[in-house]
Parts: sequence; structure tokens; C-alpha cells
Amino acid sequence: MAPERRKYARKYCKYCEAKIEFIDYKDTKILKHALSERYKIMPRRLTGTCKRHQEMAELAIKRARHTALIPYVVDTRNVVAHPFDQLQ
Amino acid sequence: MTRHYELLFVLKPTLVDEEVQARITFLKETLEKNGAEISAFQNMGTRKLAYKIEKFERGYYGVFYFTAPSLAIGEVERNIRINEDFIKFMSVKYENQKELRHWNKIVEKCNKQVTTTQPVDAPVQETEASPEA
Repeated sequence: MAPERRKYARKYCKYCEAKIEFIDYKDTKILKHALSERYKIMPRRLTGTCKRHQEMAELAIKRARHTALIPYVVDTRNVVAHPFDQLQ
Repeated sequence: MTRHYELLFVLKPTLVDEEVQARITFLKETLEKNGAEISAFQNMGTRKLAYKIEKFERGYYGVFYFTAPSLAIGEVERNIRINEDFIKFMSVKYENQKELRHWNKIVEKCNKQVTTTQPVDAPVQETEASPEA
């Protein structure tokens, strides 16, 4: 007998919901939907972001990292309690 | 061919206000010298960097929105690289219709803010009187 499948909340694209047409890398607040606590880019299969917005978010995150708006890595040396608090 | 661009730059936090203004006018002049038409300037202020750059923890952020011939970008970037006060910069090209619409929206927003809060020309003209630092 196969174990009963666990039920999760249905995933949906947060960017489609907010009707975002273009993801600006300077707006770090909207980038966090596609980021993990350690500022890794979350895969689409876990967040439910649609392909169109995922591609935009990827590019925006990479640009934001280059300009030091969000960190490249958060490792054990500089881990913080509330990672998204510093985003303005 | 003229295209729509945006240029973000980060200045050293050790500069005082007048020096920051001088760098901004310097950048503005280099842009205009190379045939760029500046549409808006966004002042993001001094903010904490996500990681250390040249041992600095903070930096002054500013963004220019302009249209320019594509050849101008290389020359402007070369000028920025020479100057040590710019610790980070990035130019982004806005090409397709969706991006251009966003570009126009930001420019409109920036210009609206400038007119309501403070006239942006006032501090710029002051620094023009002083010799180039």
C-alpha cells in the first residue's frame, strides 16, 4: 500500500499574483520570493513561480548580487537571525 | 544607434557631500560629452553593502537613466574604471517593449519625486563653480 500523499498548500506564482511586469534588481523586496534564507535562488519546483517570472527573477538577482544589494553567500561566519530584515 | 540605458554606481563612503556631488557632475558631464541624453537621476543614498568591497562596508548609491548611442557606453565605463572613487558600477540596457515601459515608468517616478521634494539642479550648480577635484 502506497503511503498517503501529504497535502501541501497549492503553489502559485507570487509575481503573477502581484501583476509584476518587469522585475527590477534595485527593488530587493520583490526578489525575496525567489530567494532562500541563505540568499540562494530557489528552484521553480519549490516556489511555484512561473517560468516567465523565474527567468526575470534570476537575472535580477544576479544583477543585485553584483551591485552589492544582496549578498552572494551567507555562510556560517555571517549568518543572521532575520535574513530579510536588512532589505529596504 | 541610440538605446535606453541605466547606469548604477557606488561611491566610496569616505567622501563628503560636496565630493559626492562633484563625482556625480563629473559622471554627468562624461555622459553628455559622449552624446548621452540624461532623463533622470535617482539618489539611493548611503546604504550598507551586502558584502565588503575594498574593505568598505557602506557606499553611496546613485542611478542615471539616459539614452545614448551604443558606442558611448564603453567610453563612459573606461572613465569610471580610471576613477578610484567608484567602487562598483553597472550599466543595464533596456531593449524590448516591456523593459522600455518599465524604464519610462521609473523615469517618470524619479522626475516626479525631484520636483516635489527638492530641486535637483541647486546642489549640482554649486559644485560646478568649484574646480574639478
